[in-house]
Amino acid sequence: MMMMDPANSTLGRMLLDEITPVVMVLRTHLVEESSQKNQLSFIQLLSPFCNFNNIDVPVRTASDQPYRLKKFKLRLLYASDIRQPNIEVAKERLNQVITDTGEEDLSNLCSEPLQIEIVLNSSQNEFLPSWFQYFNKELVRTVSFSEHEAFDHPVTCLLAVSSWDEDPINKFVDLFNTNQLPSLLNDGAMDPKILKHFVLVHDGEEVPIERATKTLAEMRSTFGANCCHLLCINSSKDGSEEHENLWAAYKTDISHGQQLRCFLSSDDLDELKKFVQDLSSKHIIPHMEQTIRLLNQQVSATRKGFRNQIKNLWWRKGKDDGPENSAGPTYTFSSIESQIRVLGDYAFMLHDYELALSNYRLLSTDYKLDKAWKHYAGVQEMMGLTYFMLDQSRKDGEYCMENAFTTYLKIGSSGQRNVTRCGLWWVEMLKARDQYKEAASVYFRISGEEPLHSAVMLEQASYCYLFSTPPMLRKYGFHLVLSGDLYKKCDQIKHAIRTYKGALSVFKGTTWRHIRDHVHFHIGKWYGFLGIFDVAIKNMLEVLACGHQSKTTQELFLKDFLQIIQQTGRTYEVPKLQLPVINIPSVKVVYEDHRTYASQAAIHVKESLWRSLEEDMIPTLSSKSNWLELQSKILPKKFKESNICVAGEAIGISIEFKNPLQIPVSVSGVSLICEHSPVVSEPNANNSIGDQNGETSNKSATSGNSTSDTSLFTLSEADVALAEGETVLVQLTVTPIAEGTLKIVGIRWKLSGSLAGFCTFDSDLVRKKVVKGNRKAKRSTIDNLKFLVIKSLPKLEGFIHHLPETVYVGDLRYIALELKNPSKSPVKKLKMKVSPPRFLQIGHKEDLEVQFPACLERTSTRQSSLRSKTDKVSDDIFLFPEDTTIADGAPISWPLWLRAAAPGKISLHLSVYYEMGDISSVMTYRTLRLHFNIEVLPSLDVSFQINPRPSRLREFLVRMDVVNRSSSKGFQVHQLSSVGNEWEISLLEPTKVLPSDFLLAGQAISWFLKLKNCRSVTDQDSVSSLCPPEKAYVNLLRGSEMLFDLHSSPLSEFHHYERVHQRISEKEHEDTVDFILVSRSQSEENKCEFFFSHHICHSRQGTSSPIWWIMDGSRTVKHDFKEPFCVITLRMIVHNSSDDVVSVHCNPSDSAVNISSSGNVSAASGNEIGWHDFSLSNDIKITSDAPGPRVVKPMSSDTVLPFIWSASSSTHFTLEPLSSRETPMEICVFSPGTFDLSNYSLNWSISSPSDKWDNGDESRASSGTCQGHPFYTTVLQQD
Amino acid sequence: MIVCVAVVGHQNNPLYIQSFTEADDALKLHHIVHCSLDVVDERAPLLSITVNNPKKSSPTLNETFLGLLYPTENYKVYGYLTNTKVKLILVTTDLDVRDADVRNFFRKFHAAYVDAVSNPFHVPGKKITSRTFAERVSTIVKSFGLSSAS
Repeated sequence: MMMMDPANSTLGRMLLDEITPVVMVLRTHLVEESSQKNQLSFIQLLSPFCNFNNIDVPVRTASDQPYRLKKFKLRLLYASDIRQPNIEVAKERLNQVITDTGEEDLSNLCSEPLQIEIVLNSSQNEFLPSWFQYFNKELVRTVSFSEHEAFDHPVTCLLAVSSWDEDPINKFVDLFNTNQLPSLLNDGAMDPKILKHFVLVHDGEEVPIERATKTLAEMRSTFGANCCHLLCINSSKDGSEEHENLWAAYKTDISHGQQLRCFLSSDDLDELKKFVQDLSSKHIIPHMEQTIRLLNQQVSATRKGFRNQIKNLWWRKGKDDGPENSAGPTYTFSSIESQIRVLGDYAFMLHDYELALSNYRLLSTDYKLDKAWKHYAGVQEMMGLTYFMLDQSRKDGEYCMENAFTTYLKIGSSGQRNVTRCGLWWVEMLKARDQYKEAASVYFRISGEEPLHSAVMLEQASYCYLFSTPPMLRKYGFHLVLSGDLYKKCDQIKHAIRTYKGALSVFKGTTWRHIRDHVHFHIGKWYGFLGIFDVAIKNMLEVLACGHQSKTTQELFLKDFLQIIQQTGRTYEVPKLQLPVINIPSVKVVYEDHRTYASQAAIHVKESLWRSLEEDMIPTLSSKSNWLELQSKILPKKFKESNICVAGEAIGISIEFKNPLQIPVSVSGVSLICEHSPVVSEPNANNSIGDQNGETSNKSATSGNSTSDTSLFTLSEADVALAEGETVLVQLTVTPIAEGTLKIVGIRWKLSGSLAGFCTFDSDLVRKKVVKGNRKAKRSTIDNLKFLVIKSLPKLEGFIHHLPETVYVGDLRYIALELKNPSKSPVKKLKMKVSPPRFLQIGHKEDLEVQFPACLERTSTRQSSLRSKTDKVSDDIFLFPEDTTIADGAPISWPLWLRAAAPGKISLHLSVYYEMGDISSVMTYRTLRLHFNIEVLPSLDVSFQINPRPSRLREFLVRMDVVNRSSSKGFQVHQLSSVGNEWEISLLEPTKVLPSDFLLAGQAISWFLKLKNCRSVTDQDSVSSLCPPEKAYVNLLRGSEMLFDLHSSPLSEFHHYERVHQRISEKEHEDTVDFILVSRSQSEENKCEFFFSHHICHSRQGTSSPIWWIMDGSRTVKHDFKEPFCVITLRMIVHNSSDDVVSVHCNPSDSAVNISSSGNVSAASGNEIGWHDFSLSNDIKITSDAPGPRVVKPMSSDTVLPFIWSASSSTHFTLEPLSSRETPMEICVFSPGTFDLSNYSLNWSISSPSDKWDNGDESRASSGTCQGHPFYTTVLQQD
Repeated sequence: MIVCVAVVGHQNNPLYIQSFTEADDALKLHHIVHCSLDVVDERAPLLSITVNNPKKSSPTLNETFLGLLYPTENYKVYGYLTNTKVKLILVTTDLDVRDADVRNFFRKFHAAYVDAVSNPFHVPGKKITSRTFAERVSTIVKSFGLSSAS
């Protein structure tokens, strides 16, 4: 540990200042008057001379050791001041001190809190407020002149009488009137026989010196020669002497600049000085020395030595029996304890610390035994100080201070101020030894009930933590906060702010949000009290986005904040306002260059989808280059880097606002901040964008101010109410009006109507989602918010009329697209494309006038199905008629057909391409993109099952199952059509129609129908072009004769796409059939009729055999069996339904004949109603390749064959495609009976495979064998 | 009674702080925990010297318990330093607490912390928001009261 000189430490200096002999001054009012001529009191007059830095008086210790006293001081006090200070007054004065210093700090009040590094590096002296010293001193003085201590007891009494006074001798006697003396002398706490010194103050101005000398002589004779003195003052006549510096330190009530009128000549000053020095060195010090000697002898006699100690102990023990006095025993000046105390204090004052210590020690045991706790504590305190001054035995010193401290605490409230003093001394002691941490905890212990004092103590404690090594910054901050709270409690707001500001330098940027918020909030609030609003708001802003706080805290923060804002009486602009939180990466920019959008929904569709849709329409895209390159001839090169937008067309920005709080927040007036700079006239290609920015920034108009220049652009405003924790997407627009460059700089909003916040889109933060365009990846993001505004262009607007939101599957609707061009400049060369074509078809101009669905009704005159697709370039792109131009807001309508093909949520896309009529414009073409969503609900579910009908050639039985899948809607099944003219369809039972007109929700029904293939060679190429036969329609509705023509537009187009969609495999079978079921329904509200079409394509029967055959002949033959046998001739008609040449070999077999006298062969192939194979009916069945369920049982070998096939039955022939052939068959029957003639087989093979065959449909074999159909013939005996 | 427990990250950032009092004294407890870090900082180097000193191969080798950090008038603050320099802080109002109890508490608390940060969804250095952790800690806190009573 470093060596230190106790006398030079803070505490040492304080002690040498404060524990010094007291001189009681008694004076007449004329003395005071004389000195007041110099605007000084009598004491003030003498004070500058009472402080001796080197008095150099030889002194002897009690043990006759000589030493020289160097530093000495006298405390001059009027008798009236020698008493315990009034507590209230003292308190008042201390509070005043604090308030005054608070006011002084005002200039620093608004300064930024210091960086903690600076705080740490600053030295203690420059950092600590200087008034602490003064405050502490005042605090110590509040307990002076207590009776249990002797160092405040006056050593000498100085009586001063003016030479002006009448009868000065009597005045001297009167002055020392015991009634007016301090209570200390009167109540016996100290010896009233005090050393007196008599001074005759001679005012040279007023009274001749002769009178003074005469009086002095009188005095000397009365009071003794040594103790009388003549003091001449005011010998200067003109009062112009200047000695101000002498009194500057002693006069607090006169400001420094004021000139003192001084009547003191330099001779007077010398005399004053000499007087005080004489008083000290010749009277007071020797007197004290003598007293010490005297007392020491007494103490030695009565207390030193073993015997005395025993005696003392014994005696004190006896006193214990007496009644316990709570205040402890009282000691008069004559008691040995008081004398020891006086001895100790005198020795202390004369710097004889060894002597003082030994006496204090002696005394402390006595007091302890007497349980005189206050006295004991006082002595312990002095012991501690003595140890300190001796700079030895630190432990003991601290122990004594601690002891004193706790003892003072123990005696309760009366010792409170002593506690404070003792603590302060203790703290200084610790500080002098660099034990700052301990000092801080002592400060903490001093802070008592008095909040203001506690505040100061806590603040001092915090500085101790700061200066301890290592610095304890968190405790520093914490104690500052505690102290600040107490200051606030005492209305010392400025001090509170000062401490909190200190704390802020610690807590700035801490992750301990609760603490940081607390400090910021309170400091902000306090600044608000003081009316320093800008700083207040700055601090409050820090806590606004306090999502981690409780709801009540958030409410409090916001309420107080808004209150402060209101007090300012104006809207306050705050950059980077935290509330609400702006999610800058969420910024999306939507603007229209050559791509225009009809609705918001269209914007959010992926760009790639649009591009694939528009691929063929826009010529430049198809040639693998982007539109910019095409237009680069027109646009200056530098513009290529910018986004292009058109004057008068809004640029939309969507941005996320998030409320981090648990309380709702209202945000109003949200708008963009934009900069507009006019076009740079000279198209200098070298001029980079950065330069351009710099040059034009002076001229640019910024909308940061609330008044934006509306001639350049207009802004939209939005109001948002954010519920707790809500995130809201705010849509904002800016519409440029003038050509030039427009840059979106940021966003601005108003919080709760009074606080304007703005936020700039920092280029690093904006990660603009590229909504569109072939954007280079390398592009810096800041350019994305910069737009080149070009001259106003025509822009098409598109709407769709009658677009339903929800439709049922199959619903066919007429909708109209309306295109409008509000500008004068015409657009032309319109093209359009729709997607998906299965749902949406472009109609014909004539369709605009037609009545739907009546237009689909079949009329005899109508030949519309022959209409060709002449006005279509291809299947996809629709070209408007050449002469179509749109201008002047005149709308044109174009029909569209919507058919809900499949259930679900369906997106419809339309893109309209158009070119500018005005060739000189920067953009030559634009596209209009429309996007719609419809929801398609399930309606009728139609399925078909087709089986060949064995009894007829090329006929099928069709079962149609219809289920209403909708939740509530009923449908009227109207009509079923087969598509194409190769099919004919009819009801199996013509009467079978619906029991009721409507198929209700969830209901299912089946129909059975006949389907006939009437395909022939001639018509196979032009399936759709011919007028369909009447038989392709079946009316399923009872009582309705109306039929719909399903081959007309747009149903035929939809059917085409439906076929494409439902295609199962690459290869299309010829023998598949498409059905269209038409149903209708009525809407409840407006009796409007809806038309539904359900397309089921590629329905197949379950066979792969290309041949059909049928056996024909007489069923019943009568024959006289007297003849040997009966020959029956039969016909077999074989039809080739394939496109290939088939060779057929008919192979009758004699081996297996099924005979049954009853003829009842039951071989049901299925058990479904209506699908029974009635065995004895005349039906024949087509067989499959594999032996079907109907297996011909071989007859047992011993049975005689009842009939044989005649030889000619076995034939071999080839069949041309789609042709029939009749071949005769013959059997010989030998006996009557009923015979099953199914024991033959047909072997077929494809002899000339076509090209299609090579493409490979593996499911079809190239050859096969078919078992014969059952054919029963009955032969009867002819009578 | 334990009034507050806290987990403080190695950069002295609060990871978890939970008070177990009815009163609204969150701020005060924050301050107390925050201040106690000063003492942790003061003691941590001493601790590492003990740990790194090979001569003292005493039971203090793995000592992570920092002992009583901060006696205030009403509270006692105990600290515990993990190997990753995460501080566990305990604030109690009990005036006579056995060291063994506190050690035991910290051992359990540490285990709970380790489990919580082993969660793959926990971001190191971020606040611990796991509800399971909170429940476990409150169980440990409750059991602390019981074991010291018995």
